Amino acid sequence: MISREATIVNKLGLHARAATRLVNCASAFESEVWICKGEKRVNGKSIMGVLTLAAGQGTGLIIETDGPDEKSAINSLLGLIADFFGEGE
Amino acid sequence: MTLALTGHAVARGIAIGRTHLSERNEIEIDEYRIDAAEVDKEIARYRSAVDAAGMQLNDVADRVTRSAGASAGEIIHTHVMMLSDSKIREATEKHIRTELCNAEWALQSQLEKILAEFRSMDDEYIRSRGDDVIQVVQLVQSKLSDEASDKPFENIPDRLAETLVIATELTPGELAILHERGVAGIVTEHGGPNSHVAILASSLGIPAVVGVRLAQSLLKEGETLVLDGRLGVVYADPDEAILEHYHQVQRDTARFKRSLEAVRDVPCSSIDGVSITLYCNGERNEELLQSVEHGAAGIGLYRTEFLYLRGMAPDEETQLETYRTAVEMLGGLPLTIRTLDLGADKTTGPIDFSQLPRSVNPALGLRAVRLCLRDTDLFKTQLRAILRASASGPVRCLIPMLTSVREVILVRSLLREAREELDQRKQPYDPDMLLGGMIEVPAAALAIEDFAPHLDFLSVGTNDLLQYALAADRVDEQVAHLYDLQHPGVVRLLRQIFSAADKARIPVAVCGEVAGDRRYTRLLLALGLREFSMHPARLLEVKQVITETHIPHARAALTHWLNEPAWPGDLPLLQILDRSQQTH
Repeated sequence: MISREATIVNKLGLHARAATRLVNCASAFESEVWICKGEKRVNGKSIMGVLTLAAGQGTGLIIETDGPDEKSAINSLLGLIADFFGEGE
Repeated sequence: MTLALTGHAVARGIAIGRTHLSERNEIEIDEYRIDAAEVDKEIARYRSAVDAAGMQLNDVADRVTRSAGASAGEIIHTHVMMLSDSKIREATEKHIRTELCNAEWALQSQLEKILAEFRSMDDEYIRSRGDDVIQVVQLVQSKLSDEASDKPFENIPDRLAETLVIATELTPGELAILHERGVAGIVTEHGGPNSHVAILASSLGIPAVVGVRLAQSLLKEGETLVLDGRLGVVYADPDEAILEHYHQVQRDTARFKRSLEAVRDVPCSSIDGVSITLYCNGERNEELLQSVEHGAAGIGLYRTEFLYLRGMAPDEETQLETYRTAVEMLGGLPLTIRTLDLGADKTTGPIDFSQLPRSVNPALGLRAVRLCLRDTDLFKTQLRAILRASASGPVRCLIPMLTSVREVILVRSLLREAREELDQRKQPYDPDMLLGGMIEVPAAALAIEDFAPHLDFLSVGTNDLLQYALAADRVDEQVAHLYDLQHPGVVRLLRQIFSAADKARIPVAVCGEVAGDRRYTRLLLALGLREFSMHPARLLEVKQVITETHIPHARAALTHWLNEPAWPGDLPLLQILDRSQQTH
């Protein structure tokens, strides 16, 4: 099980397009993916879960991955978030 | 008498036409109990309805993507995702099993639970997604019930050119159909600024006003309607003055569009006869096509990050496939591929993520070429793919975020190794493929003469260059005002970059957002820029300004401005440059 912190940096936060990309990315892996904001913990492969997290710009999250490909999973997810979900330069 | 109704302004644009009120049949939800023996059959029935719904949504997503591009289609892909979300799929099946009730009833109960959660959200954008869930569920319900109410708009004419459709709400599928039939405008009773109707109408370019309550009751079938998409107002049965005003706005818009069209086939030169080269930035296929259509000289910046954000680092064949497709789409125009510009390690490699800074853009750490020079396997895989693509057409390679000359030398030696590897495999490539560098780091910007002997071309990434130079985050609303191309320090920095490049005889382009911003075109020309790379949608506008600029006059005004200390009451630089054109 790997657990890492991440900050949502893109302007619109985890809105639908970003959430879709996040869930797409998470769903490509065998490992379980969990995303935590404060007390709230949601399944990273569930679009509704991720949307209801309502993580705006500047929100700190904890990403957990657990499974055979947990390292690739965490790296990809953190990379996606750091790259603003592919929005902007 | 004119009746004015207001709602949320969504998609800019004016529409004038006749109303058509559209109706939809309400679906009744059956609720009944089933025997334990029937559970499997009921679940199968449910699954097949979900599959049918998924197929329909995917079809709509494809059509919308074809009409309006990938970003428009994405909102519908979100709907498809909701369909397979465990909260709908598994939860409903479980409900059927435990409660022994029919699928419609189970689904409805699940919907209510999900909605409760969405409604408690503070963020209006997220709350609007709750409406998306309702629509997705309604689609499944319609597939469960045998009345195929997926024959929308039977009674609507095939051509909607001068018609505005008034509806309670619209599904993405319905919007796609309306768009295909050329609808002039849309008014809905439901929906806020973040509803999928708003987002889609905006992407599809359909003038729309949403959230106009009682629209269907107050508007009459077939009456004249003026829709003002900027203000969010519709005028029913408008009087002469209003009608004439909006007709004038439509004429002005059309005239502006025609003036841009007139520029399309004209050579791109300034009034004093200097030839300017316009490239486009891109990463998606439709951007490549648009670039060709608008007359771009090639792609000045092809981003590759998207390949690395799909879960695993892309292998050489996958990359080659993508790059080669891009080369073919350009039909002989040059493609400038930028190597990975990210701060993440996607595969193995010893890079520990905790090293990445937590702060916002820009990362000052191990990213872009710095990362690539650490993880040479990753980098050479990309270099080999780029080289192999160069066998199919003109390709240039662009290295992001250069800091030191040593980095360029290392890149060149890795390129040499990559070429040798391809020689051993007997795979062809262009041995003369050009290598360029992105100038974004201020120290590099001040050392152009040291880089020039080692590179074939330069591209200035003004987005990050300005952020580093002004120490201001352009996305942070509290300091974004400091991010200003008109700052004398920035102006001097750019002038230095362009004149050092000119002296060293190395071509230099600007590929940041300012390149596509027509307000800055004259400034960039006056500073000495001769090559621009921008989003394809901006090309004609920028070209228009270029053909209306006399560069020596602009340069004289700029030099004068740079030599005089600035006073608070002075005209802004951009205005001074515009005025310099008027005396001639």
